[in-house]
Amino acid sequence: MYPPPPQSAPPYSGGASGPRAGFWSRFAALFIDSIIVAIIPIILIAIGASSNSSGLLVFGYIVWIVGYIAYFVYFEGGESGQTPGKRMLGIRIIDFNTGGPIGYGRAFLRLIGRWIAGIFCYLGYLWMLWDKEKQCWQDKMANDVVVPVQYYPIP
Amino acid sequence: MRLSASTTFDPSDTRGAAMAMLGLAAVLPLLPGHAGLPCPLRTLTGVPCPMCGMTTSVEATAHGHLGSALLANPAGPFAVLVALFLLVRRPRRVIRVPIVLVVGTLLALWLFELHRFSLI
Repeated sequence: MYPPPPQSAPPYSGGASGPRAGFWSRFAALFIDSIIVAIIPIILIAIGASSNSSGLLVFGYIVWIVGYIAYFVYFEGGESGQTPGKRMLGIRIIDFNTGGPIGYGRAFLRLIGRWIAGIFCYLGYLWMLWDKEKQCWQDKMANDVVVPVQYYPIP
Repeated sequence: MRLSASTTFDPSDTRGAAMAMLGLAAVLPLLPGHAGLPCPLRTLTGVPCPMCGMTTSVEATAHGHLGSALLANPAGPFAVLVALFLLVRRPRRVIRVPIVLVVGTLLALWLFELHRFSLI
């Protein structure tokens, strides 16, 4: 008798090629990140409004936009692929092919992808609900997947 | 996609977001200038998204102005209710939310906002 054939590769199930972060945890992470980013600009805008300084008001909104871009590019492009919101939810972004970080360039691309994903009634965000690898449009553009840290620990 | 497909909602995942939302709703109106969270889509294109008016709506709900909340975005009072439920009752069980419900709700809200901004 021959031994049974080795079963190294799991049988193809038609699902994702590994565990993926769920819709609501990603939603909650983005929600928290959006609020964190808003704190300083909201304070600047409040001070600007109370002191009747339109310069400070405009500065507040510029800080908001620039801060938003910097925040997501820095954290999502970094080694862990985690924003503070994603860290709270125990999820992270990895390169779909290598499992490594996506880098700052692709993190920026992902940011643009997020904006496009929101244009038509958030269709690009909802995409992960029926996508095999649970990818939103921004994930497809940056070729990443969002995964639970539990299964994909930060090296 | 099957019509019956659903997404898993783990209450513990969204507790932090619920807390952040209620905190913001309490604090925002106290600040001078009353900064709202501007919708990037509407700011750039003039077309509202399904979540437009949510800051106004959640804030108004938190301060008891249910009428103006519903006029800004009908989902605001619902979001406050869900947040309170998550924080007060602290449900443990995972809730399965049908995908058609998520998509349908967003579509309905989008139509509402498009109408509110007189685009339809």
